[in-house]
Amino acid sequence: MTYIGHGGKEIVERVLEPEKAAEAIKGLTPVPIRGQIAREIIDIAYGFFTPLEGFMTRADVEGVCNEMKLANGVLWPIPIVFDISTEEINEKGIKEGDKLLLTYQDKPMAILEVEEIFTYDKQEMAQKVYGTTEDKHPGVARTYNYKDKFIGGKITLVNPPKINPPFDEFFFTPKQLRQKFAEKGWQRIVAHQTRNVPHTGHEWLMKGAWLSTHGELPVEKTLTGVLVNAIIGEKRKGDYIDEAIVLCHDVLRKAGYFREDVHLTSITLWDMRYAGPKEAVFHAILRSNLGLTHHMFGRDHAGVGTYYDPYDAHRIFDQIPEGALNIKPIRVLAWWYCPICGEVTYSGLCGHKEHSQNFSGTLIRSIIQDGVKPPRLIFRPEVFDLIMECAEKYGFGSAFVTDKYLKERNPVFSLPDMKY
Amino acid sequence: MSITINIWINEERYEKLQKAGLANMAEEALAGLKVIKVPCTEEQKDKVLKVFPTAKYDSATTKSIELLPREVKDKIFDLVVEKQSIDVMDDFLKNY
Ligand SMILES: [Zn+2]
Repeated sequence: MTYIGHGGKEIVERVLEPEKAAEAIKGLTPVPIRGQIAREIIDIAYGFFTPLEGFMTRADVEGVCNEMKLANGVLWPIPIVFDISTEEINEKGIKEGDKLLLTYQDKPMAILEVEEIFTYDKQEMAQKVYGTTEDKHPGVARTYNYKDKFIGGKITLVNPPKINPPFDEFFFTPKQLRQKFAEKGWQRIVAHQTRNVPHTGHEWLMKGAWLSTHGELPVEKTLTGVLVNAIIGEKRKGDYIDEAIVLCHDVLRKAGYFREDVHLTSITLWDMRYAGPKEAVFHAILRSNLGLTHHMFGRDHAGVGTYYDPYDAHRIFDQIPEGALNIKPIRVLAWWYCPICGEVTYSGLCGHKEHSQNFSGTLIRSIIQDGVKPPRLIFRPEVFDLIMECAEKYGFGSAFVTDKYLKERNPVFSLPDMKY
Repeated sequence: MSITINIWINEERYEKLQKAGLANMAEEALAGLKVIKVPCTEEQKDKVLKVFPTAKYDSATTKSIELLPREVKDKIFDLVVEKQSIDVMDDFLKNY
């Protein structure tokens, strides 16, 4: 089996054997890291971010900001950087050529080879990546929160994380996922990116995307699959709780709304940047590394506020040179409920716009908040019941993130104890 | 547009409304789910937000009070059925 990822580069897992790892980290300067960096280390180490082997150097960041390319010319839209304060660099005497031991949850996690220590104008980074310098934009705010220096260099995971239930059964490395697709005999796989519990509008988005993806292939065997890829990262108050997102997507298959052989639920660790079109390209790269062939993009993909036109994330794919991206965008409009058609239908087909009823986010959230079980045309009963169950079991009574959830939830992954 | 509290009406609640002769109060919202829009004055809104600190007023889009505790909305619905009217906020707020 071949494991060729984005940019035509082989997917390489940068993970040390336990015995070698203990030896390798002896005497290294420890540097504690935060959740975002820990998640990105996992992504780099297992090849989710192929061809990245570590955090970006200045030349990479410059290329990404100015031309949407890494220094080696490979398409890449969002900087992946390791930030650190000048004080910490001075205090620990960190210099180029050093190796650092990155620690998380007070455990060793990875080795960072300090190839380059550099600065970068954060306003410029924000403007180039997000198209704005306003700190109301969450991606811009994240950029401004970076410390004043960056370290570029390779990462090696020394202590593989243990993914905690209920997420453990949904975490696959790119290699594992490709093996899974091969076992299923899928030739085409379409990604559904999500941070939501699925109402029927989402279900039909996926079903429509599956039909588009399957296209001209023969129908006797299942050659096409839908991969739900939930983004798990830093949570904000009011987001859906991660457990509900993942489990409710999975129940769509378990309850038969998708056949067992056409649907798979998975997670990727990533802190949303809300970069709209740039993030759409990033998601496409990520999913091409996972072995997917198609990626569905709906209205306002990864957008926020009114920073991007709802279809900017569709149009950006027209500017990507042939061969730079090994995954096809499936561009779709919304599905709505039409009382004349009497069904949830595609807005690109139904001619009753003036009667249409939209799946507005506010309305859906309000229904869930109130626990009023809606008709099965809005939420499948199994899904709605499970949202309520997840709220009790994981959300301290709420399907949405609260302060208590932020403080007391079970972490998505833990680092095992490690002797060294 | 006036300020409202949206009470969602599923089949179960719709039956109660029908029995109370109030079925016509409910407007179509989405795919058979209906809604009763209980009106609030500016003063009632302010009091609701004060009494229930989790609640938020969505001034930008829906002009509705959101994120009220579930029991509160249930109580308001029961009051509507009992009073056979959507003008229940004065009555409701009396207890707070
Ligand atoms: Zn129609």
